[in-house]
Formats: sequence, structure tokens, C-alpha cells
Amino acid sequence: MTMTTDVRAAVVARGLSKTYGQGDAAVHALRGIDVSFATGAFTAIMGPSGSGKSTLMHCLAGLDTVSSGHVHIGDADITTLSDKQLTLLRRERIGFVFQAFNLLPTLTAEQNIRLPLEIAGRQADQVLMDRVVETVGLRDRLSHKPSQLSGGQQQRVAVARALVSKPQVIFADEPTGNLDSRSGAEVLSFLRRSVRELGQTIVMVTHDPVAASYADRVVFLRDGLLVSEVTQPTPQSVHDMLLKLEA
Amino acid sequence: MLRTTLAGLVAHRLRLLLTSLAITLGVGFISGTFVLTDTIEQGFRQLFTADADKVAVAVTPKDEDIPGDVLAKLKALPGVAGAQGLVRGTAPLLDKSGRAAGSTATSGISVATGPLDRTIYVSGKAPGGPGEAVLDENTATTRQFEVGDTVTVLDVAEKRRQFTLVGVIDVGVDQNLAFTGAVGFDTATALEMTGAKGYHEVDLAAAAGVSPETLKKTVSEALGRTYTIRTGEELAQKLALDSNVQLDYLVLVLLLFGCVAMFVAALVIYNTFNILVAQRTREMALLRCIGATRGQVFRSILLESVVVGLISSALGLLVGLGLGALALSALSRFDAPVPSDATIALTPRTIVLGLVVGLLVTVVAAVLPARGATRVAPIAALRSQVEEQTFRAGLARSISAGLLLAGGLGLTAVAIWVLDGDIGLLTAMGGGAVFFLGVIVIGPVLISPLSAFAGWVPRKVFGVPGRLAVDNSRRNPKRAATTTVALTIGVTLMTLISVITTSTRETVVGSLDEQFPVDFMITAQYGREDGRPLLPSEVPAKLRALPEVGLVAELRQVDHGGVTVGSLPDGAAFRPEVTSGSLAALGPGTVALADDQAKNLGVRVGDTVPLDTTEAGRVDLKVVAVLADGDFNQALPYTVTLADFEKYYGVVGPARVYVKAKDPAAVDASRRAVESALVAYPTAQLSSAAEVRGEFDEAFDMMFTIFAALLGLAILISLLGIANTLSLSVHERTRESALLRALGLTRPQLRGMLSIEALVLGLVGAMVGVVIGVAFGWAALQTIPNETVFVVPVGQVLLYLVLSALAGVLAAVLPARRAANASIVGSLASS
Repeated sequence: MTMTTDVRAAVVARGLSKTYGQGDAAVHALRGIDVSFATGAFTAIMGPSGSGKSTLMHCLAGLDTVSSGHVHIGDADITTLSDKQLTLLRRERIGFVFQAFNLLPTLTAEQNIRLPLEIAGRQADQVLMDRVVETVGLRDRLSHKPSQLSGGQQQRVAVARALVSKPQVIFADEPTGNLDSRSGAEVLSFLRRSVRELGQTIVMVTHDPVAASYADRVVFLRDGLLVSEVTQPTPQSVHDMLLKLEA
Repeated sequence: MLRTTLAGLVAHRLRLLLTSLAITLGVGFISGTFVLTDTIEQGFRQLFTADADKVAVAVTPKDEDIPGDVLAKLKALPGVAGAQGLVRGTAPLLDKSGRAAGSTATSGISVATGPLDRTIYVSGKAPGGPGEAVLDENTATTRQFEVGDTVTVLDVAEKRRQFTLVGVIDVGVDQNLAFTGAVGFDTATALEMTGAKGYHEVDLAAAAGVSPETLKKTVSEALGRTYTIRTGEELAQKLALDSNVQLDYLVLVLLLFGCVAMFVAALVIYNTFNILVAQRTREMALLRCIGATRGQVFRSILLESVVVGLISSALGLLVGLGLGALALSALSRFDAPVPSDATIALTPRTIVLGLVVGLLVTVVAAVLPARGATRVAPIAALRSQVEEQTFRAGLARSISAGLLLAGGLGLTAVAIWVLDGDIGLLTAMGGGAVFFLGVIVIGPVLISPLSAFAGWVPRKVFGVPGRLAVDNSRRNPKRAATTTVALTIGVTLMTLISVITTSTRETVVGSLDEQFPVDFMITAQYGREDGRPLLPSEVPAKLRALPEVGLVAELRQVDHGGVTVGSLPDGAAFRPEVTSGSLAALGPGTVALADDQAKNLGVRVGDTVPLDTTEAGRVDLKVVAVLADGDFNQALPYTVTLADFEKYYGVVGPARVYVKAKDPAAVDASRRAVESALVAYPTAQLSSAAEVRGEFDEAFDMMFTIFAALLGLAILISLLGIANTLSLSVHERTRESALLRALGLTRPQLRGMLSIEALVLGLVGAMVGVVIGVAFGWAALQTIPNETVFVVPVGQVLLYLVLSALAGVLAAVLPARRAANASIVGSLASS
């Protein structure tokens, strides 16, 4: 369990709790989590179904409110921000890759990639744009609409979109959940390379040990608590840890 | 299946609410029309029947009034218990400033007493002697007279007579009296005041034991065929029939607007069901997976529409009751001759019609969507993502749209260049309707370029949300087309009416300027005598004597021997346009002819035409000029010099006197001078160009307001349609909105995005409507035989565009709020 207050941490959560409902019907999704995610690292969040891993990610990314505790992204405590400030923060500092429905169907691949920058009113870094597009291998697909792309291609567009705005952190929620293993491997290698080559910080929620093995570090959740972590994971070590947790 | 359908209805009640509202309003309008007219009709019938109970037999003349000796003869007939002669003539009431009230002389009537009295008193009592009079309620209110006041009325010799006002009466449904206003006296005074030679109706009461039919027979035998003789019941029927003819027009006009509203409602329903079916693809597919047949799916949708149709039609009937009552009170406030205190009538016909129309429109509009639902393959249950709608104009669509558009244009062209008059106008409007159907068919093709056009500015101004909004507006062209077409109908008709009223107004004003090249015009009050009202002949001389007055020109005019002859007024201002010859040559023994008249007679300048005169017999006149037809102010068929006119027809009073102020800067002073000179002539009507224009303006404004109000409902329904489509689109795009929010779109930006989408839709609908409205407004004007100017009310048209865009934004308020307030996490998870 990491309690380090690494100055280089991109995301830090302190005493994070999330409760749905009230009284007898209350569901404690997160029960006080302290965790930090280092800048330039690829971290996976794992855990059995219902362990609270998606909720954790939503709270870390400012998509959901917390019941108590604090979340810092860089120097900002996002639990104290208004909806408007949160939105602006997401726009400036956070990238997202979701499991499905990542792209706007009315826009081309390129327009989708540029969308966050345009929403923020920023100019795309053309060098970075070219490099990202080249790396994801989408050069010849840029003018296609999402409906003309395969699932893997769509996810790669989503990753490219997250990367070009150079966010402090990218949150990926089961990015390979809907893909076949080959497309999944492509997307994951791509995420990994962006960490190595671009120094990107990525936090990924997954339930797949193979996917998690692409990360530098895997943290494990169970019943809303951070229970363990594995650094330099392999599919086997992650799988073993999961089995241990579910036992 | 029934249970599933009902459960589905309950689950989607909010979404169906807007649909129901569309039907409810449509049915409300139609049933309101019937409630209103039925109520008026019943009210009339009650009044007439009440009258009929009092009168056994009524005698009315076929042409001349019934003379007093006939009344005496009737009184003496066996079986007659009482006879009352009713007098009706003119007795101009003077208002508080001493001028005759209104442009038409007040009717002077006798107020009956005794058992044959049919008068309804609002206050006071019947005139009890020669010094007392009653007034009708409307006149009393507008001229501010109260019981106890002294009123001045001109008698037949134009002498001022004063009466004490002892009562205020309700003239009820007598259209004529409602128009002119009425002052009532006892019978002797009425005869004296109006100078009537007899009675315009004699009512008889039957002696005990004598039936009206028997009495009618007796009277018929006594009077022969000179008079129309009716029993009280027959009289009531005749009166009811007369009033119904007018009601029928009202029903027709209102129903026309009702049909427009229903058509718009049908489009809204069609769209809603289409979207509902699309959204429930998985639900339908699941039903099919577990064994429901196509027929069952079809019937379940249809059943849904039946339930919606029935409930909303029933609500519509309630709305109709309210609307009917509202319209009735509005009508009586505007002093329309309707029975004001009638009880609201909801007849079985109204109920059946309202329910049937509402149900039928709903079900018919839902049939196509329901058929679409049956095509859902069971496998669709397993697909997760809603497929993007792509649209391509099929051959069938292109051909049918082409045929309709060409047919509409063709019909209109025939109407303009071949037909004329009412047939031409109707054909042009029919052509417009056909063309519009073509536009509906081709609509989905037009949406994309039009929304790109309408969205050009928002795209530039509003950044990403603007761009996304414009893209979204053309995302589903079919849906967008149906949504906007509903609005287009309203805007088209509004524009059409604007163009026609504005053009007509401009034409009238233009001709007024031509007709009114002076400061004031003086005319006689209408209704005083048969034929053309004339001013006393000394009026021009009196005005010429005033130092404040410059030009005084008079127009003498007679209708004799089937033609109208006028004198040429003095002054260059009255020189009409000449097509050939010259007015300078108009001297003794010559005539200027109107263009039409010259053509009819087949004569030209230099020819000679005969003219029958009263004083000089038949004269032959040399044609020296042919006058062009003005726009509205058509040249008189024959124009001669004033000297010749007096020679041919003697000295008659002028039909009009035109006055120009000596000092154009002192128009007010000269008006006061003219007014004081006219004190001795209370029935002379002094009007200025501004006043006449004001009256026209008022009439046009009134007409426009009524049409706008009637169309308002159709527009309201189409806005419901926009709101409906948007809220359903928002629902479909829940995850998309959540994604945008996650990527950094703020709540106001998301709301803005939906507002812009609605704005673009509203604008597209309005653009099409404005173009069609202007085009067919022009076409309609071309079918009018008179020369009319074509004016596009640019300000109004722009206003429609702006209002439509704003209305779209208004319609988006609720859907946008819902989309913006949705939780991102929750929306991302939803399917």
C-alpha cells in the first residue's frame, strides 16, 4: 500500500469515501481510500466486480462527487471545485478513454481527436498531433466517421484524442473491454508507448489480468478498500493476486 | 400484449404527454368551434322561440312599408286580440359634441308595449310619451349616455329634437340594428321622427281559442299576396335561418384553421411515434425474440395510439368547452350581435366529432411508424448501439416530389394567367397546397443544405457547441424535416396573410393618397335616404367663405339611367390620369369617359355618346378624353363640367366636398373653422386623410390579429413538436452528452448546444415558410382583378424568422435542462 506523498504524484486521493443512498439502504462503494498515482507512470486499478474500481476512477476524474475525503490533481483539490471549475479542469488536465461510445458519431476521426482542444479553445500541437496519429496508425482513417471504423480503430482514435491535449492524467475505463484480443493488445501497447515515449500519466481500470500487465503498477480494490498492489506486473502475478483476493 | 402496451404507456407517459397536448389542442380548437357556434345558434333559437310565443302572426311587407290603414284593418279582423305596428327608419342621434354619431345614421324604431312587447331592457323602462326615448346598449356605452340624460336626435326634417333617455335596450341579434345603433320611441313619435309612411312589420296576437294557423289564414284572406304572412313559429324559423347563414361562414372559416391545426398535430404525432418506435427497437426485438408476431407488435403500437388519441381527444373536448366560452365572451365584448348570456352548448355531435377526429388523426399518424416497428428483426435486441440514420432520396420520393411541386406550380400558373376572380384565387391556393405537399415529400433532402445555411452564423459564433449543434440538426433529416414542416405550415400561412394584408393596405393607402390630395373630405352620413347620401347644396359656399380655407372642390354625382355621372372637381389635384385625349378640352357638351366605359361602348376620343339626363332629356356628348382606371379610385364612367352637370341634372347637393387649408402649416386651425361652419349640418361627416387611413389601418390590423390568433394554435402545436423531437433526441444522445461533458463541455455549453440546434431547426422551418408564403402571396394577389401593388412586409417577415428561431430556443429549454443536469457517470452507464 502506497502512502507516499510523492511530489511527482499526478493524482492523490486522501481518505476517499463514496456512499450511495442513506440509512439501511446505504451502499458504501468506497470506504476511505488513500492512493497516489505517479507522474509518467501507467497504473492499473483492479478488483473483483463490485469492488468499487469504476467508482474510484469516476471520483478521481471528477466525474462523480465524493462523500468524504480529498482528491488532488496536480495542485488542485477537485473535491472543493464547483461543477464549472471541475469541467474546466477536466478540459485542461484530464483525458478520457471509455469502454464504449467514445466518439461522437457526427464527427470524423480527426475532428473527434481535436474535439477536447477545440472545446478548450486551444490550438493543437501539430507536431504532437502528427506523432500521435502516426503512432496509432490512423493516418489514412482520419476523414472517416466512427461508423466506418472497427472497434479497435475507434478505441485508438479515443486514445489519440486523450493524448493530443497533453493532459496531466488520462483515465481509461476498461478501454479494451469491447475489443478482441488482437485489437486490445494494439491499444494497450499504444497506451504503454505513450507513457514511455511521451511521459504520459495513465490510470486504467480493468478486470483483465493481461491488460493490467501492461501497466507499471497494479493496485487492487476489494469492497471499497485498497487492499494490495503489484509493481512490474505480469499476467500471472496479477492473476494470482486476484485469485487470492477473491478467495 | 395489451398489458405490455399499457405498461409501456405508463412508462413513457411523460414523452406521450407532449404528443397528447398536440391532439388536445387540435381537438380543442375544432370542438371549440362547434361549442361556440352551437351556443350562438341555441341562444338565437331561444330568443326567437321566446319571441314566437308572444307573436301569433307577423305580417311583413314585400317592398313598401305597411300603411296605417292596413294596420287598422288587421286590428279589426276576427280572432285578433291585438296588433302592433313596428316602425323602422333613420333618426340620427347626435353625440355629446353635437355631431351625428357614426358614419351611418342611427335607426329610429318604435318600442312596442303590451303583450306584443319583445324588447329586452338592460336598464330603465319603455318610453312613456313623446319626450322620452331609449337607446341600444352599445350606442349608449360608446357615446356615453346614461338613463336620465338628455339626448338629441334629428327628425326627418333634420331638426334637432331633445328627449329624456328613460331606458337602455338590448337589440339582441338584429344584425342591422347592431350595426347602425338604435334609438327607440313610442310608436307615434317614431313615425313622426323617421317620417316613415308605415310599418316594416305588424305583429298580431291571437284571441283566446284562435290558433296561429287559423289567424294566418284569416289574415291571408284579408290582405292577399301583397304581404308576407308568417306564424310566430315560422318567423322564428326564418330569423334562425338568416342568422345561421352567417354562422355557417364562421364555422367554415374556423374549421379551416382547425384543420390546419389538426394537420400540424398529425405531423407531430407521426414524428413522435416514429421516434418512440426507434427508441424501443430493442424492446420490440425482445418481444419478437420471445415469440410476439409482427401483427402483435403492430397492434400494440396501434393500441397505444388509440389510448393516446382517446384520452387526448377527451381532454380536447374540455379545452374546446373552455375555448368556446372564451370566444363567446370575447365576441360579446367586441359587441358582436351574439346572445351573450346563452348557456354553453356541448352537443352530442361535438362530442362524437371531437373524439372521432382526434382518434382518427392519431391512429392514422401512427400507422406508418407502427409498420416500421414490425420490420424490427429479433436480432436487433442484441445490438447495443443505436444505428445512425442515413438518408438517401429514393427514386420514388424524387419522382413524387417532382410531380407535386410541378403540379402545384402548374395549377398556380393557370390560376394567375388563365383564370381570375374567386376561382383563380381558390385555384392558386390549391396550387399552393399541392406545392406544399411536394415540399413535405422533398423536405428531408432540403434539410441538410438549409440547416448548413441557417447554421452558418451559429457555427462561426458559438464555436464547438455551435458546430456540434448544426451537425446534430441535420443528423436525422427525416425527423428534422417532419419537425420543421409543422412549423413551416404556420409560418407560411402567417407570411401569406402578411403579404396579402400589407399589399392590400399599401394599395388602399396609395389610392387614398390619389383620392385624398386634400386635407379634409366632407361626406354625408349614410343610411339617411335611399341611394347616394348627399350634402346640403349650400355647404361648399359656406366653406369657401372661410378665410382659413384654401381650395374647396365639390364632386356632384348622380346615378341615373343605369350610369354614374360626375362633375369634374376644381383644382389640379383632381386631374386623373388620361389615357387619350385631354381634360383641358372638357367644355360644354363634352364628356370624359372612364377607360372601361369607353371600351364597353366601343368609342374613342372624337366620337359622340348619348346620355339620358333628368333635366335636359337625352343629350349627345363629344368624347374629349379617356381616363385611366385608378387603383381603387376608379374614374367615374362619365365626367362632365360642373356647369353641364347642373344643366343636365339640376342643382343637387355635392356627394363630396374636398377642402384644403390655406396655410399648410395651420391645418388644425382650418379644421376648427370647418368644424364650426358645419355645426349647422350635424350629419356632415368631416374626415381627414389621416383619419381615413387610420380607419383602414385599424380594420387591417384587426383582421390580421384575428388570423394570427387563429394560426397561433397551429404554431403552438408545431413548437410542441420541436420540443418533443428535441427531448427524444436528447434521450437518444444521453451517452453522447455525457461524453461531451466528460471531455470538458460545461453545462451552459451543453444547454447552448441544444438551444442552437433548436434555433437552427426553427430557422429552417421559418425560412421555407417565408419563401413559400411570399411566393404564393404574390400568386394570390395576381388573381385579384384590381391592380394591386405587391409589397413584402420585410420587417414582419424578418420578425417571423427571428420569432421562429427564438420559439425553437424556447422549445429547447426543458429538454436542454434535462440533458445538462443529467449525471455524467449515470448517463455513461446507461444503454
